[in-house]
Parts: sequence; C-alpha cells; structure tokens
Amino acid sequence: MRNVYVVGVGITSFSRLEFPISEIAAYPAMMALQDAGNPKIDHLYVSNMGGGRVNGQTALASAVVDTLSLTPIGAETIENGPASGSSAIKTGFMAVASGLCDTVMVAGAERMREVNNLEATDFVATLTHPLAEYIYGVTLPSLAGMFTRLYMEKYGVTSRHLAMVAVKNHANAMLNPFAHLHQPITIEGILDSPEALTNNPIVADPLRFFDMCPVSDGGACVILACEEVARKVKRPLVRLAGVGQATDTHCVHERENPTDLLAVRGAAAQAMKMAGIKPSDVSVAELHDAFTILEIAESEEVGFFKKGEGHLALERGETALGGKIPINPSGGLKGKGHPVGATGIGQAHEIVTQLRGEAKKRQVKNAKIGLTTNFGGFGNNVVSLVFKRED
Amino acid sequence: MELQVYGYKCRKCGQLHYPFRMVCKKCKANEPHGFDPVPLPKKGKLLTYTDLSTLPADFNVAQLTLGIVELENGIRVTGQVRIPKPKTGMAVRINIETVRSSEFGKNLGMVFTAA
Repeated sequence: MRNVYVVGVGITSFSRLEFPISEIAAYPAMMALQDAGNPKIDHLYVSNMGGGRVNGQTALASAVVDTLSLTPIGAETIENGPASGSSAIKTGFMAVASGLCDTVMVAGAERMREVNNLEATDFVATLTHPLAEYIYGVTLPSLAGMFTRLYMEKYGVTSRHLAMVAVKNHANAMLNPFAHLHQPITIEGILDSPEALTNNPIVADPLRFFDMCPVSDGGACVILACEEVARKVKRPLVRLAGVGQATDTHCVHERENPTDLLAVRGAAAQAMKMAGIKPSDVSVAELHDAFTILEIAESEEVGFFKKGEGHLALERGETALGGKIPINPSGGLKGKGHPVGATGIGQAHEIVTQLRGEAKKRQVKNAKIGLTTNFGGFGNNVVSLVFKRED
Repeated sequence: MELQVYGYKCRKCGQLHYPFRMVCKKCKANEPHGFDPVPLPKKGKLLTYTDLSTLPADFNVAQLTLGIVELENGIRVTGQVRIPKPKTGMAVRINIETVRSSEFGKNLGMVFTAA
C-alpha cells in the first residue's frame, strides 16, 4: 500500500448558503486546487447525505465534476449519513494507496437550510430504523437525550458539564472565521440566569438548545496524493496515516450496553493502529460533537480518558485550547456547524490546518498528530482518521 | 383481535431479535425464512426516556416523550411514553396504538404506560 498525503484543503463558511449544492461543493474544491498548486486530478469523490431528498439533486458528483470542468475524469457521490465526508476520504485514500490514482479530490457539501428546521431534523431522522424507531418520532436529538440520561445516571455527568462543552466550543468557534456560530456564551447565561429557560430551552430532556449543533449549509474539500506528487507540492507535508471504520446495531436499543459507543472505539483503535500511534500521542482532535454529550463520550471511547472520566478531564480544562489534548479547536460541530455530508471533510480541513501550523489564533502548539472521529447515525457507522505532520 | 408486536426467534439457535433481521446475530444462520415470530411480552421496565420538543412536522403535538423499555424477556424496544412524570427503572405496560399518522396513513406501534 502506498503512503497517502493531503496536498490541498479548502472550506466554505458553515452557515446559510444561498447557492446550488453543486457550487457549495465546488467552491472549496477550487480553494483546495489553488492550495495544492492546481495538480492534475485523477478522480473526484463527492460526499453528501441529503441532496436527493432536501435539494432535489441526485448524483451530485456528476454535477460537481462538470461545474469544476474536470470532465472526463471519474466521479462518484458517497453517502454514509453524517459520516459521508470521512467515508469519501476513506474512498479517496483507497484509490491513491492502491495505485489506481495518483491524485484525487474529495469534496463534501450539504445544503440543509433550504428547508425549515423541522424538515431538516426529519430528513436526518430517516437514518433511524424505519419501523422500530422512526415511526415513533425518534430523531437524532431524542436518541442523544436518552443516551445522556443514562450517561448522567451512570457516570455523574451533569448539565453543567454539557454546558462547559458548549462554552468551550463556542469560544473556539470565535477564533475560526469559517464557523457558523460567532456567539460567545457563558454558563451563567445559559444555565443560571433567569432567562436560561427561554434562551436555552429544553429540547430533548435533559439536553437543551445549546447542547445541539446548528443546522448548517457548507462545503469542504481535501486533495489526496501519492508521495511523488506530494513532494512536488510546496506545502507542509501531512500524511493521512490511519483510516478506521466500524459499525454498530441500527437500533440503539439493541446495544448490549447503551452507554457504549463501540463503533467509535473500534474505528479510532483501527485508525491509530494503522498509524502506529497510541491515544496519548495525539496532539489535537476533532470529535463529532453533534450533541455536547458526544464530545465527552467520544473523548473516552477514542482512548484519551477512561470510560466515565471524560467530564472530569473537561472540568480540568484538558480539552481546551492550551490543554493536554485540545478537542474541537475549530469549534466542533457545536460551534463551527454541521453540514452533515461535509462535516468529516471539515474535520480533516481543521486537522490539516493545525498540523501545518496555519490555524492562527486557534493554533494548537506543536501539533504533530491529529485525529478525527466522524459519527454516522447515532454511533452506528463511525469513521476515524489519523493525520501526521511528516517534515 | 388483540394487537401484538412480535420478536423473531432464530430456528437454529433460539436467539430472539427485535426488530426483524434476515441473518441471526448470534449463530449467523442464513437460511431464508429462518425465524419464527414470537409474541413479545406486554410488561417491562423503562430504561431511559426523553421529552422531545422538536418533532417532525407530521406530529401535531408540542411535545412527545420517547423511551427505551426492557421487556420481561430481556428484549429491548423503543416507543412512545405516556406517563406524566416518568422515572427510569419504573415498571411499564406496553400498549399498541396509533403512534404516527401522516397523509400516507397511520402507523401502529408501542406506547408505554405506567404498570
């Protein structure tokens, strides 16, 4: 298997974007091409979850490849729920590692704000089990609410810990010009003030408004290449050193221990094994905090902290910028935003920016190894990636 | 006729599943039609729940409580909770009622009430 490098990255603002979804994918692709010095692209992989349902645009890759005037190269759309982005990176990795391609473009896009919030929530809820979950009104926030209740009872996590994740990630997002939410929040404001019940209402008890990521439009792109191409590109050398993926039961109720996220554990372990590293070697991580509880739970499952102790590390500030293992310096899904099909590529964009030392005010010092975890479904299909700075 | 939800018992190893699947998760038996439907018990305990207030558009209510129940035989199910102040661990009864209706029709499913 050949080594695979990230030679170019690009991103849009995550917010509400009034452009066709093909352009939301193509814009960051143009940025990534410029970043990499316009290499020749062999294949294009486009990640997207809802184009067909939300935007009436199926076969998105065929639109994007032509928008970018890249025809006649091969192009396909990759859908793996909210983990579509990382799945597309995995596909691009396989294409370069196998020798099929020398340089591939992996672009992701989502345009969820074309519909209202209820329709967007319902669209994402269609990934749940149609007969055993969806018909009851189960949505991703409700699965997260039920998971949070168990986590609180078992490990002593409180609403205050959840708010600490939100405050941290909003603060990080303030330093990220591409982030959806540029809104500083405080624990006093969202939990203790007399207005807290109106400015931070309960949405899926015990989760409140500020425990949820926003619904975002957005796109992101990475260009992957073999070593020969990467050495010619005058950019810091970042290798995609580990790729892991694991799945779990479709229905959350079928999991033996419902507070475990075995697919996160499995995917991260595989990615780290392939990269030859341990959790303590990781200098920066982007975890899938669609709900604040998930950042805490995933920080344990990927091996940064013992099970049930993630919230204690959070209290000690270990996951903040400047802490032992900064998590979600970009603002995470909570602050940066969550355009589902593009999220995994957005995470990779942040890690590459950090490893290149180009993250400016949110730069993690001496970042050499970065990890992403991209969570499809409620933990039923998880892709984890490890990136290494190599020069 | 009393309405009933069924679990699916593997004909080879006896493992019970809910919901339906095509291959047994325990012994991986993959003969077509390899499961026998088995009526699920109507009693269980509430493992976890959430009061959800952002519902998909076809729910014409402001709030809905959803929960996961462990049935007497150990099988777990997801459904709607109709208990004013639920507590985890409480005993519940499983009723079968309309749980969702839209322009395409009605879905029957499980509604949990206090036992």
